[in-house]
Amino acid sequence: MNQANFRRLLARNSYLFALLLLIVVVLINYSRQDNLFDPSVLNRNIRVFLPLAILAVGQAIVIIGGGIDLSVGAMVSLCNALLVTWITPETAGGDILLAIGLVALVGMAAGLLNGIAVAYLRLQPIVTTYATSFIFAGLALTILPRPGGQLPSDMTGLYRRLIEVEAFANIPIIQDISILREIPPAFIVIAIILLLWAFLRQTRLVQYIYASGDNAEAAYTTGIPVQRIRLGTYVISGFFAAMAALALTMSLGSGSPTSGDAMTLDSIVAVVLGGTRLRGGQGGIAGAMMGVVILGVIRNIISFYDVPTWSQTLVDALIILIALAGPGFVRYVSDLIRRYRLQGGRAA
Amino acid sequence: MKKRLLVLVLVLVLAFSGIVQAQDTYTIGVSNSFVGSEWRTQMIKQIEDAAAEIEELYGITIDLVIESTDTDVSGQVQQIQNLLNRGVDAIIVNPGDQTGLNLAIEEATDEGVVVIAVDQEIGAAGAINVVIDQKEWAMISAEWLAEQLGGEGSIVLIEGFVGHPANEARMAGVEEVLAEYPGIEVIGRESGMWDQATGQQVMSDFLASLTGIDGVWTQDGMASGVMTAIMDAGLENPPIATGEARASFLQMWEETLMENPDFTTIGVVNPPGIGASGLRVAIELLRGAEINEEAFSGPFGNTLYVPIPYSVTNENLQEVYDAQNIGEAPASFTLDGIITQEGAIKLIAGEELTEMDVTPDVGEPEVEGMDMGTEEAEESSGS
Repeated sequence: MNQANFRRLLARNSYLFALLLLIVVVLINYSRQDNLFDPSVLNRNIRVFLPLAILAVGQAIVIIGGGIDLSVGAMVSLCNALLVTWITPETAGGDILLAIGLVALVGMAAGLLNGIAVAYLRLQPIVTTYATSFIFAGLALTILPRPGGQLPSDMTGLYRRLIEVEAFANIPIIQDISILREIPPAFIVIAIILLLWAFLRQTRLVQYIYASGDNAEAAYTTGIPVQRIRLGTYVISGFFAAMAALALTMSLGSGSPTSGDAMTLDSIVAVVLGGTRLRGGQGGIAGAMMGVVILGVIRNIISFYDVPTWSQTLVDALIILIALAGPGFVRYVSDLIRRYRLQGGRAA
Repeated sequence: MKKRLLVLVLVLVLAFSGIVQAQDTYTIGVSNSFVGSEWRTQMIKQIEDAAAEIEELYGITIDLVIESTDTDVSGQVQQIQNLLNRGVDAIIVNPGDQTGLNLAIEEATDEGVVVIAVDQEIGAAGAINVVIDQKEWAMISAEWLAEQLGGEGSIVLIEGFVGHPANEARMAGVEEVLAEYPGIEVIGRESGMWDQATGQQVMSDFLASLTGIDGVWTQDGMASGVMTAIMDAGLENPPIATGEARASFLQMWEETLMENPDFTTIGVVNPPGIGASGLRVAIELLRGAEINEEAFSGPFGNTLYVPIPYSVTNENLQEVYDAQNIGEAPASFTLDGIITQEGAIKLIAGEELTEMDVTPDVGEPEVEGMDMGTEEAEESSGS
């Protein structure tokens, strides 16, 4: 009975396993790094994780809708290249906002290309987005052949520096919690995304995304515009890729034509770690963001546990593999237990 | 009796604390973002060896914290931040991006951490580059190729990662040399990704699609693949190609010479020991050496150039081959050159380095064996 409840709980809250895993890896990290929760250390960590976290949100939405987007990393590279080309240390505030707006449009246009090919031309998502990734990567290389560019230091500071909340400085208890007095900007971004999702989760649009990913034919027969929904998920993914590029550019302060290329697979791994299955129709974005933090913290653990140089890559991969296999293993064991009990029942 | 014991204990404690005080401990972080190459493996191994040597030489303790995984710019930023969070005194970084690490590195130098960028030059404020002049390195083999061709002919260029600092500097050098040889025409240019297999494929494609290739300029990490492609094509007049100073290539070179005495190529040493050279400079700075501002040069005015060790051509192939026992060496062994501790002191002072200040490090290059390093250390501490 308890088991059935637990399973239902897991099914409804796909991120539960990720949350558990997150707590475990953070504790393991903390056991070797006691300054982990210092605001400045936390800020350094989370601002590195944020670009991938934003990217994974877009990826999760595509996957929930029954697709996959292998071009997100190249989109980040493209948008990163555009941002450092359009914004220089002398650029005025208004023009910076204009550039950011344009980059968001570029990301959405790139997503639109993917969406049309997948939803209307009915091409395989994996192959299509793999192919378009080369278009975006190629464009990035044309726009910014050499790494370079520089963002205004005010702009990078906004992203990199802690936000001091002076209002909390005199309130008892709160003034003792350093992380509330000095908040990493990335936390605010994550909070906004989660709140927005909590709100959208109730809307018909997001319900349609889940329905289309779960069973496209059934969704179609009930009158859901599956093609438009699919198209929409890719456009959303493109938008998030542009925002991930913005975060990455503000984090690094400069651009490189290949800056995002390695992020594609990590975004998918993070989504799966977060409890979203690749077949679609299920999962969420909170888990995907937890997945990103888990991936990052695993790297910290390797660093702080003095894993020998020559086995760092191996250990990194093994931990990720174990983490990915975790839910399946739990399911397998609980199945075994249940079967054993059933048999025991019959014998008695 | 008890009193005597107490005195003994006291003496021991005093002696011990004296030793502890005399033994300075330095924590040195190493950040490397690319593990798919023998060159990087040797770089890290040489850093470990050099650390053991310096410990003996100065009677200090060096805690190496090595971060070495395949990762992107964000991942390397995380590596550097983790090293900072561990409170290292210095960071030796082989930067995977020309500009992307600058903010993270500046954060480190602001905290008073000595940051040495090795292998590739970056412009981060407060960081010091300890590198060979990659531009000059490329010019040596480009000049050689141009002379071999008599200043006439069609050539192809097979470069490394486009946008990678070292590749950019090298290609600038090649272009500068070629500008002096108007008779040489570049008919193809592609990236071999610093990978032997890719280099081989790119060269095969060139041979299949272009006619009349007289020369090939390529870089280390790809040259063996390129040369294999040329040999496999079985041409009557194969193009003259630049090579690399690695054991596998030298072995192929020697065999080819036996069959074809006219064969010619060049391998300019690009030392993986540059990481160890960087460590030596870092230790000197941590021990209080003042850097001579006039020693700096380079595109960002923060570079200490380590001399390029040497080049291998037909003239000295046999000599190098025998001296370094190349026939027995693992294929992955790269010919090396590391500055001595005196060399590091000279470099910081802005003095000219001589051949004596760069050791070729003719060690057994296995990853496991630290023997060579400690033997050398004993010698130097004895002298």
